[in-house]
Amino acid sequence: MHFEIIGKIENIDAIAVRRGIRELSRLRRMYGPGRWRKMKGFALIRLEDGTIHRAELHWYEAHGIGKRDMKFKLPFLD
Amino acid sequence: MKNSTSTYRFAVCIDNEGYLASLEMGKLYRVIPDPKATEHNLIRVVDESGEDYAYPTRRFFPISVPDKLRKVLVHAPANKSLQRTSPRAPRSARRPAAGR
Repeated sequence: MHFEIIGKIENIDAIAVRRGIRELSRLRRMYGPGRWRKMKGFALIRLEDGTIHRAELHWYEAHGIGKRDMKFKLPFLD
Repeated sequence: MKNSTSTYRFAVCIDNEGYLASLEMGKLYRVIPDPKATEHNLIRVVDESGEDYAYPTRRFFPISVPDKLRKVLVHAPANKSLQRTSPRAPRSARRPAAGR
């Protein structure tokens, strides 16, 4: 991962579930079948250049598989 | 026209490790120019989800496309353009015939 999460992810919420996820077939093919959810949260992150920013994070998760494809949106929130 | 198609950029994914659902190796993705992203060696890309996210620039190889191709890619419907999945037969063709 090209960034490090500092502290906890806050205000976690599901933004899409199962068929509401556009890339559901890719998730299943790459990581396995499961009740996939696309999640959103906010956290401080440290980039590879050492700078720290508050960002909106998105990721996918399924019970028994865990979190996958943790990524963040731009612009930063700070 | 409000936005010239010449402002759109594209890049090919050359490393999707850790992002197997979000990115596909060798696939062309739309880039959203973002000077702030560039400052941090990031590239803002519309990935398989249809939303844009920040990825390290090293994961992509920017390419220039001919204007004719650029116009096609920019105006392609969102559900077809750069996030196409494998073609599937229509549902009716996959169901067994009645009575069998």
